[in-house]
Formats: sequence, C-alpha cells, structure tokens
Amino acid sequence: MRDVAVLGVGMHPWGKFEDKSITDLSREAVEAALRDAGIAWPEIEAVSAASSRFSGGKGWGLNGNDIVEEMGSNGVPVYNLSAGCAAGGNALNIGYTLVASGLYDRVLVFGAEKMPKGMIQTSGVEEETDPEYLRQISVGMPGPAFWGMLCTQRMDEYGTTEEQLARIAVKAHENAVHNENARFRQKFTLEDVLNSKMVSYPLRLYEICPISDGAAAVVLCSAEVARKHTTRPVWLASSTVATYRYDDGIPRGLASVVPKGRTLHSEAKLAVSKAFDDAGVGPKDVSLVELQDNTVYYELAFPEEWGLCEPGEAESLVEKGETTPVGSMPINPSGGFLSFGEATTAMGVFQICELAWQLRGEAGERQVPNAKVGLAQTLGLGGNGTAAILKR
Amino acid sequence: MTTSNQIPVAEGLFAETADGPRLLGSKCATCETPYFPKAAICHNPNCSDSKLEDAEFGPNGTLWSYTVQYYPPPPPAKYDEPFEPYALGLIDLPEGLRVLSKVTADDIEAIEVGGNVQLVIEKLHTNADGNEVVTFKFRQS
Repeated sequence: MRDVAVLGVGMHPWGKFEDKSITDLSREAVEAALRDAGIAWPEIEAVSAASSRFSGGKGWGLNGNDIVEEMGSNGVPVYNLSAGCAAGGNALNIGYTLVASGLYDRVLVFGAEKMPKGMIQTSGVEEETDPEYLRQISVGMPGPAFWGMLCTQRMDEYGTTEEQLARIAVKAHENAVHNENARFRQKFTLEDVLNSKMVSYPLRLYEICPISDGAAAVVLCSAEVARKHTTRPVWLASSTVATYRYDDGIPRGLASVVPKGRTLHSEAKLAVSKAFDDAGVGPKDVSLVELQDNTVYYELAFPEEWGLCEPGEAESLVEKGETTPVGSMPINPSGGFLSFGEATTAMGVFQICELAWQLRGEAGERQVPNAKVGLAQTLGLGGNGTAAILKR
Repeated sequence: MTTSNQIPVAEGLFAETADGPRLLGSKCATCETPYFPKAAICHNPNCSDSKLEDAEFGPNGTLWSYTVQYYPPPPPAKYDEPFEPYALGLIDLPEGLRVLSKVTADDIEAIEVGGNVQLVIEKLHTNADGNEVVTFKFRQS
C-alpha cells in the first residue's frame, strides 16, 4: 500500500440555506478543496461521494454523479457510499483505498446535505417485515431517545451530573465562536444549557445536535503528487470501516443480547482500534480528536472506550478543561456537531477538513498547540463505524 | 371497553397467554442466543449450527436504562393528541435478552435504573376507526 496525503480541504459553511441547492453547497466545497490543493477539476481521476437519502442524487443517493455533472462530465469513475451518518467516513475510506492501492493518484472525496426539518425518520418501506419500521411503530424511538437511554445508564454507573453534561456543550460553543464555518457561533453559559428544554431525559436541547445543511470536500493524492505541491504534507495515515458486533449491548432493532461486560458502540471501537494499528500510533500519541458528538454523551463514552482515558475519568477531564484545545485531551476543537448541526453524510469529511487545518497550524483561535496526530471518527445507523488518523 | 376492538400494533410480536403476557421470539438450541422478534437464522457468528426454536419471553425483567421523551416521535410512530411525554427503556430479561420498550409507571419521573419491571400489553394509540391499537410495554411497580 502507498502513502496517502490530504492535499486539499474545503467546506461550505453549515446552516440553513433556503436559496441554495445541495449541488450549490457541494460545488462550493469542492471548488474550495481544489483551490486548496492547487489542482484543477480535470486532474481528478476518481470521485468517492457520501450518498444522501435526503437531497439530490436523483433520489437514489447518486450525489457523486451530481457533482461530476456540475463540474464537467468527463467520464471519471464515481463511487456513491451509503452508511447513514458514517457515509462521509466510508467515502473517505474508498478514496484512501483507491490512492493507497496505486489505482489513482488524485481522488476527490465529498459529502453534502440539505436536511429536512424535524427529527430524522429512520424507516423506509411501511411493512411489518421491515425491522426498523416495526421498531418505530411498536415502540417509537427518535434518535435523541436512543442517546438519552445510554446517558442515563452512564449517570447511574459513574454518577455523571447534569452540570457535567452541560459543560461539554459550553465547551463546544466556546470553540465554535472561533470557527467561521460553524452554524451557532455564540457562547452559551452553563445556565443557558441547563435552562434549555428537556428533549430526551437527561439530554436537553443544547446537548444534542440540531440538523443543518452543509458540505465538505477533500482531495487525496499519492506521496509523489503531494511532494510536487507542498514541502509539509498532511498524511492520511489510516482510514478504517467497521460494523457492530452481535454481542454489543445496544439493541439496533427491538432487542440485543445482554453483553458480558461493558460492550457498547462496538463499531466505533473496532474502527478506531484498527485505525491506531494501521497508522502505527496509540491513544497516547493523539494530539486531538474530532469525534461524532451527536450528543454530549459521546464525549464521555468514546474516550474511555478507545483508551484515551480511564473508564469513568472523562467527566473529571471535562471539568478540568482537559478537552479544550489547550488541554491534555482536546476533543472537537471545531465546535463539533453540537455547534455545526448534523449534515449527516457530510460529517465524516468535515472532520478531515478540521484535522488538516489543525495539523497545518491554520486553525486560528481554536488551534491545538503543536498538533501532530489527529483522530476522526463517525458512527452511522445500521451499526456503521469509521475512523481515520491524520499525521504531519 | 371490550377486547374485541383492541388491535395489536403488529402480528406475531406478543401474545396474551394463560400465564399472562409474553413476547414472541426465538432461541437457538445450539448456542442459546435469544431473539426478539423471531429470527430466521442464528446471528451469532460463533454458533456452529443454527437451530432456531420458538420461544416466549417475560414477564419479569430489570431496567438497564431509560429515558423520558418530551417531544413527539417522528412518523411512522403514532400517538394520541395531545402528546404526553413517555418513557422508553432497555429491559434485561433473565433469558439474556435486552429489549427496547415503552416503560410505564404511575409517575414516569420516578422510574429508576435497576428497577423491577413486568411485561404488560397496553394501548399505544386510538386509530382512525376508533379502535385501540395495543403494544407491549414494561411497567415499573
């Protein structure tokens, strides 16, 4: 396998854009990434796109085909990847594989969304033989309720307080003040968060991510190409995809087994562990993490599951400020999904943009000092997990 | 109210038996992995020989965790207007099954992790024909 570099990154700001199409958002992100890479559209040899189920893509998730038509149809191969909220990470993984394998030297990866209003509906066909439909009609479980149950269990296990949960949201918004691409850039106080409406106990409105429109793109290339463009490349040291284990204790349908021990979010743990192994780094080498914070709960659960801290330690690290950009375990200096809102399939690409800016030292007021190794992670419906390690 | 106008939300999920309400699932005779709803084959990757048999689960369980949902769920979930907050939980059954279910209690704010719960079949919502659509729930006593 060959080394893979992140040559260029670009983003369309996150928010609600009534007057723009998903193709407009995608094009602006792709043009920004091409400019940043210093290459032109005809030099792209393959496109790996996250499939949206909500917008564009001819209703069939063919979002990669949309951008090729927009930029200029030249016969370039397109891969459209579907993996729920992990689709951006899956698209990155295929882009990585295409370059690492030696098949192509310059590959475009992107994800974009225009999200419908309200909580996300997860079922498709209205038939009782469809397990997701069956789950929703017999029980009725929105995403925030899923996160709420996991968070309640953690509170019982570790004594996590509502104030500790709120502190994570406060930290996210303090970071987003310094990110021009974030949707919500105002500071929130602890009182603001604790006074926001309860959505799914114990999670309040400001402790779960809203939905947003947004787009992100990256240009991956071989080491040979990278050296023609820059003397300080950022490397995509690993990119992994995993699915959950059958003995995971989080039901993905109406039931699961009761696991032996604390086996949760196994798809994320498997993806992250393999990303560490493939990159030849360990949790202690990580300068910063961009993880999927659909809710503040994940900032507590994930670090211990990946070996970044001890079980039950995350709460005290949050209280001591260790998860801020200048702390010992910086998490989501971008402001995260809490500040951007979830443009589902774009998120895995968005994380790579932030890590690249951080490793180049271009993150301004939210810069993690001397950032050398960055970890990105997504989690998607269906038990999809992805991870990536960037290095400089 | 008569039982004749009660309609199960889905067929084959639960039943009122002589011993009380039960969830209808399956169990692998080889590796003893329980399934709800019924499975066609054993999903345990370490199981050497998938042998699924019908199995009934319930009524007693322990609440592994819960949430109270303060906003209406998106379609296709249905509820009676006006919307009332409801509790959802993950219930561990002695057969080694963790079930997602609505949780009922006299006071849903007083539900506790680790509490004992019992399976009940209760109204989910009233449909357009005026019939009661019922589903499985676990009640914390």
